[in-house]
Amino acid sequence: MKIKSNKSAVVDVDMTPMIDIVFQLIAFFMVITNFEQIQADERVKLPSDSLAKPPEVKAADELVLNIGFERNAKGEITDPEAYIFYNGERIPVLKFGPSFEQEARIYKQKNQNPKEVPVILRADALVKTGLVQDLIKIAQESGFTKFAFKATQKTQ
Amino acid sequence: MKLRSSGREAEKIEPQMAPMIDVVFQLLIFFMLTLNIVEPEGDFNVNMPITDSAAQSDDTPKFPDIKVRLVANEDGSLNTIRLGQVNLGNGPNVFAGLNHEILKIIGKPGNPITKDMEVELEADYNLHYEYTLKAVSACTGRLDSSGKHIIRYIEKIKFAPPVGGSKASS
Repeated sequence: MKIKSNKSAVVDVDMTPMIDIVFQLIAFFMVITNFEQIQADERVKLPSDSLAKPPEVKAADELVLNIGFERNAKGEITDPEAYIFYNGERIPVLKFGPSFEQEARIYKQKNQNPKEVPVILRADALVKTGLVQDLIKIAQESGFTKFAFKATQKTQ
Repeated sequence: MKLRSSGREAEKIEPQMAPMIDVVFQLLIFFMLTLNIVEPEGDFNVNMPITDSAAQSDDTPKFPDIKVRLVANEDGSLNTIRLGQVNLGNGPNVFAGLNHEILKIIGKPGNPITKDMEVELEADYNLHYEYTLKAVSACTGRLDSSGKHIIRYIEKIKFAPPVGGSKASS
């Protein structure tokens, strides 16, 4: 009985080291996390290049287009046709004209010239070059003039 | 004295840790779940004037364009690169070779004439995009020895209409 009434039940664990570690972890995750919304589609496997550096000045508005293929779980291409993944839809590359028109209209409503809005092309490494060029041509018909290609930064 | 002793007792009272730890764990879990690892991505800017013919007419020709021709195999892989009339062949070092040839043309990096120079890429329609991008990269420059800064060669890249377009511009 005497043992039971001992204070050992009241003695609590030393929390300090644990809290230290937990705060460290929180700080780490806070620094790592970026809440920047990236309009990236995971189906697109970008080509990589060592010269691809993130731009220093980011444009306020940009039109990001993901051009890629339907892939299965293993990453194999299931459909040879390349699509643009746009607003959750799948549009064949050469039929993207109306969407460009629509985007250009939206930018004009926001008092922005489509000429000033860069079109960022995130094309899959296996997309045909001609198709990308066709897409640029279609975009030019809607008044877009600035284009940029995206690539992942190669890490050696 | 009595007051003092009661004050000493108050010192021993620990702050309530449990709610803080609850919140801290919540935060920890939130940040862990929202973490998504994204590979850093970079841009290559290309100049695409609306109409090629108009742009060419008002530009006085200062330097002839450097013409880079990319020839593809049937399956879309790279067959050969031709720079002007020179055949650079194929292989793992072909892009390094192209980079070297461009350096020879411009003399030294940062040469003022590079502002007026343009590279015209002419690629086969079915060439895989990754090779085009590598060619763009080889023409724009290279990394310096520290691997942090880009030594610029030629900034202006343009594209010639694709060769052998199957179902181009509908």
